Amino acid sequence: MRSLSAPFLVTAGILIGIAGGIAPGSAAERQPAPKDAYAYIGWPNDGEVVTQRFKVWLGLRNFGVAPSGIVKPNTGHHHLLIDTDLPPLDEPIPNDRKHIHLGAGQTETYLELPPGRHTIQLLMGDADHVPHDPPVMSKRITVIVR
Amino acid sequence: MIVRIAALLLTCAPALAVVAIPATVQAQDAATVQPDTPPKRGQAPKDARAYIIWPPNGAVIDGGKLWVRMGLQNFGVAPAGVRRDNTGHHHLIIDRDLPPLDEPIPNDKNHLHFGGGQTEARIELPPGTHTLQMLIGDADHVPHDPPVTSPKITITVR
Repeated sequence: MRSLSAPFLVTAGILIGIAGGIAPGSAAERQPAPKDAYAYIGWPNDGEVVTQRFKVWLGLRNFGVAPSGIVKPNTGHHHLLIDTDLPPLDEPIPNDRKHIHLGAGQTETYLELPPGRHTIQLLMGDADHVPHDPPVMSKRITVIVR
Repeated sequence: MIVRIAALLLTCAPALAVVAIPATVQAQDAATVQPDTPPKRGQAPKDARAYIIWPPNGAVIDGGKLWVRMGLQNFGVAPAGVRRDNTGHHHLIIDRDLPPLDEPIPNDKNHLHFGGGQTEARIELPPGTHTLQMLIGDADHVPHDPPVTSPKITITVR
């Protein structure tokens, strides 16, 4: 607990410091994230062969989960990018079938994909769905759907 | 020590700030709510389920340092102090039975709070047999109704 609290405090202090100096009115202000924060796909593994409906387990380290709309330092919510590259990092993550928002604070979900090769990547978004700076994201993995 | 107190203050501040709000909400519901009932428990769907992804039950850990990965189904994670339906934050109960379910989960070395919305925890345990169990708490650290809790697992540290 103590090891979690200390960096959090430091970051919170930095955040408060930064907030004081920010000029209002700039578009899509990105929230800072600690450098050691990262997301990862706990399941499936890269290269895994899966059925058409499969579970995806969303991993997150040195960072917290909060539903969309909640403004809290060092938190965000998961987005799954399917068969697409990273979107622009300075604007809200698109909301369509290639960009799945998990705005209720979910940490796992099911995907249904047609047979073939697909890529999956995780990208955290802040209260307004904008990626953090630096972005908290996973490696892009490939699954084979049968 | 200072860090710990500061962390406590930081954790409590948002919780204290929101405590004032439900008082007025409860006043509106006064017709249906008994005046001296314990804190109202947040509702959870019956299929909400917490589980410890890692370590598995019966695991033997060398050295005693481990990451605990906390899983949650049909429910969402929100930091402490955040009021949103079907969300809560993780608590890890070490070497204890479940606490009373109608009051805030204790905050001590046997009841770890993850009020920052963390889904993984780095813990260190002395050699021996230990039990781990997850219990989700609401904005005020009170378990939901029904409680969202994991099976209790036993691990051995050597």
